[in-house]
Amino acid sequence: MMTKQWIGRRVVPGLAALALCVVPVRMLAGQGAAPSKEQADDAAAFTAFSARVQEYVKLQKTVESSLPALKPTDLPEMIAAHQQALARKLREARPNAKPGDIFTPAACEAFRHASRAALQGPRAAGSRAYMERDAPTPTMHLAVNGVYPDTEPITAPSPALLAAFPPLPAEVAYRVVGRTLILIDVESRLIVDVARGVFPPA
Amino acid sequence: MRRRGVLALLLSAVVTLVLSAGGPADFVFPLQANSVRLAVIGDMGTGDQFQLDVARQMVKSRAAFPFEFVVMLGDNIYTGNQPSDFEKAFAVPYKPLLDAGVPFYAVLGNHDTTNERFYKPFNMNGANYYTYKKGNVRFFALDTNYLDPKQTAWIGTQLREAGTGDWKICYFHHALYSSGRFHGPAGDLRKVLEPLFVKFGVDVVFAGHEHVYERVHPQQGIYYFTEGSSGQLRAGNLAPSTMTAKGFDTDRSFMMIEIAGNDLYFQTTSRTGVEVDSGVIHRTIRPAPGSAARH
Repeated sequence: MMTKQWIGRRVVPGLAALALCVVPVRMLAGQGAAPSKEQADDAAAFTAFSARVQEYVKLQKTVESSLPALKPTDLPEMIAAHQQALARKLREARPNAKPGDIFTPAACEAFRHASRAALQGPRAAGSRAYMERDAPTPTMHLAVNGVYPDTEPITAPSPALLAAFPPLPAEVAYRVVGRTLILIDVESRLIVDVARGVFPPA
Repeated sequence: MRRRGVLALLLSAVVTLVLSAGGPADFVFPLQANSVRLAVIGDMGTGDQFQLDVARQMVKSRAAFPFEFVVMLGDNIYTGNQPSDFEKAFAVPYKPLLDAGVPFYAVLGNHDTTNERFYKPFNMNGANYYTYKKGNVRFFALDTNYLDPKQTAWIGTQLREAGTGDWKICYFHHALYSSGRFHGPAGDLRKVLEPLFVKFGVDVVFAGHEHVYERVHPQQGIYYFTEGSSGQLRAGNLAPSTMTAKGFDTDRSFMMIEIAGNDLYFQTTSRTGVEVDSGVIHRTIRPAPGSAARH
């Protein structure tokens, strides 16, 4: 319902609209019988999650447009300056951002179910190994509006999980730290939101 | 009938064979006119003396084998993303090559920041994954840090549209086949990528991540190399298996490649200038997907 209102209020770019439609279709596809209540709830939660992500990306684009555009450059200091300025402005634009703003409890539950499904069966070991390979320090401090440390390696959900999760616009990406799923702003490396306990224990 | 069978067998052997038997002393690059010449490095961005040694060896080798560009397999900058890190782990070690106008084409490793794609000397042009062509070779530079359905679809489209005329070489960070003890093969990535590689006739794949050198026997007709020790090294980490054609885990190394027509010549050289592997891959022209069975 929230999504319909959201769509009704705004002109949603093509990709965003696609994201909103693809998730529930994919979640329900191949199920045969009518979706269970859990599946329907998860589909709705993912749709609402995608809408909140789009809201964030809209804000991010507005903030970034106030900065000189980042283009390929020979000067790494330009890249670092852009990253730092964007992070600072995004923090200012979301001073009260907190865990759960985007990964709401319903969304976390939907991600948990999707992870559990993807991490079972014949592909489970491969997915686990992918995410545990060279994983970042599990005790790494993860705070919304904090910067993902550039000294820590990157681990993203495995391809199987990325196929099960709602697709994201290019401005943001999923990251994995232990059992925690992170939404990160790609250019600023700012942690947009944190969902703890999404991945089942090893 | 029998003669035709024998002839077919001989031809088949010739066109699919990796001629790796040539010992170090025997191997020479043909240096043919209009050939594509490159160097391959991976997991190099430490900024330490070992990286400097490998870079120095590359410069030395280039005097005899003038490679035109360098492919970077990720973990380009380990130390961070401050300007001094770019300087220490890239601009300084490879200064002689950069000064000579040798371009570098990078992919992202798990220790890289995504914003490296905006660093012009990496030639990523702001993209996480991209493709380019040199002579009769089409290169596909992929981001295996984040293999989402969007990138997977892009890879399939690009490989299909590339047709069957040119060599297809893919490179990325995580090795699909590896005998390294530390990481091992990236099975989850392999499940997604290998069917595309087979379907659309990829010839050769380069990856890093595992801090050793390894050449694997062809898997479904595709030649896989791991070169993850051009700066880092995990000494003694290779557990050679039946799929290992050649491994080297006692020192750092880099690769040099020449592609002339349907032949790819490769040589892997250690930090100290010792040849550790070499050979020739002869390419078979495969039928377009759907037109006939693959060899």
